[in-house]
Amino acid sequence: MYVLDPTAEAEPHPVSRAPRLGSLYHRSIGLLSNGKAAVAPLFDHLESLLRQEWKADEVLRRTKGNYSAPAEPDLIRELARCHLIFTGVGD
Amino acid sequence: MVASPRLLSTRYEVEDERAARELFHEKGWTDGLPVIAPTPERVLSCLDQAALAPDHVIGIEPVRARPITAEKAAVNAVLAGCQPAHFPVVAAVLEAMCRPEFLLHGATSSTGGCAILIVVNGPVRLELGMEPTFNVLGMSDRASAVIGRAVRLVLSNVLDLRPGTLDRSTLGHPGKSGYCMAEDEEGSDWTPLAQLRGAPAGVSAVTVLAAGAPRQIMNEWTTAPEEILETFAAEMRANMLHYSIWGGNYAIIVPKQLRDRLRDAGWGKQHVQQFLFERARVKKRDWTRVGKGALVTVKNGDDEHVALTSPEDLLVIAAGGPAGGFGAVIPPWFGYKSRAVTTGVGVCFAC
Amino acid sequence: MPTVAVITSAFEDSAALMARVCGLPGYGFAVVGHPISSAKDQELADKARQVLVQAERLLLG
Repeated sequence: MYVLDPTAEAEPHPVSRAPRLGSLYHRSIGLLSNGKAAVAPLFDHLESLLRQEWKADEVLRRTKGNYSAPAEPDLIRELARCHLIFTGVGD
Repeated sequence: MVASPRLLSTRYEVEDERAARELFHEKGWTDGLPVIAPTPERVLSCLDQAALAPDHVIGIEPVRARPITAEKAAVNAVLAGCQPAHFPVVAAVLEAMCRPEFLLHGATSSTGGCAILIVVNGPVRLELGMEPTFNVLGMSDRASAVIGRAVRLVLSNVLDLRPGTLDRSTLGHPGKSGYCMAEDEEGSDWTPLAQLRGAPAGVSAVTVLAAGAPRQIMNEWTTAPEEILETFAAEMRANMLHYSIWGGNYAIIVPKQLRDRLRDAGWGKQHVQQFLFERARVKKRDWTRVGKGALVTVKNGDDEHVALTSPEDLLVIAAGGPAGGFGAVIPPWFGYKSRAVTTGVGVCFAC
Repeated sequence: MPTVAVITSAFEDSAALMARVCGLPGYGFAVVGHPISSAKDQELADKARQVLVQAERLLLG
């Protein structure tokens, strides 16, 4: 007898990584919080380090409305003007 | 391995049913219980019953853009023990879960560990022999058991939501094995749940809710509706203190004994909803007395939190055995992150 | 957009699986100890430092 595979059997479409940055200094950096309580103070510390050590020109802080869902499109659009983004924290 | 000309799933040749069961266990495709071999014939029977082509997309999990095809849903439905007659209900449940407002990925991967409560309304309950009275929340009947199980197997096998992988539930709860029930429309003159939520009268429908475990309450010592419902309210407030303070689609199950007291006082579902909307509230400072004072400040202590932002957000379900002053409160997974969804079985309400 | 996704150690395997099913097998995360919800401020400061160190490697590597 034959039986059928119950899994999706679907391979994901490959996604390419973003081009590597040549330098981390003097960048515009986005910090996207998922909204959980401890992320704000963690990102406060991270922002200080980015300004002091990476000489960040700008640190743009944004917070998702729902930490269990993808970020809202308008947040993504706002952050898209940054050179790089930190997002977190998955806990 | 050869693919059927109609069905696209990879086929495995096995000696017999027992070999099929062991193969599926070895590959991690079961919930630990014995499964029914999903032969092409059995799968096609389910698809024919629902009049769905194998490649029909029942829904798409939005975060990963992962489609749930009718074929894959049917394979898992057969695995779960569904007969063809059960499959249209399974398909309707999956379609409802893929609606954006249900937040399928978040609800099913969260450490919060909710399960998918399925409430069935309309003639299909009788056609499938669903039992909305005794043991309505456990071992009530074959249809409830296999429909709930089929949904769980789709989540595991098609969406990779297996415990410890993408499903990060810390605890989960027994509803993850199956959390399907029928409403007791014949034993109640209350408006059926699906109809209150927009379904046409007399149409078969399902309502899905990302739900926590049921919490049983008891109050057989009064006939006053306010006192009976205050016990439900207290359980909702307890959930807000002990688990999550955020409001959402709570569900309550009201069996016959308590339902009769409410009916005798002239209370219908809307009265119940209004009462609990008003009574299921806490202040943030109440968290201090349950060990959560770390999140209470002078600024937020007086903030009032509500279990329901509108009376209509309460799902009132008439079900349960005829005797016993019991009821159940079923809390939402986490506030309004996921919203209950109601959809027709084989019909489209919006069309 | 170069992105550093910060996770706690309890989610390394599910994050790796999620990356794979989304078409980015081997995607690197900045990992800090779990949990952070009850961490004191100095612990959070230490974790921010750990993120920075890992981020440099992830973004330039």
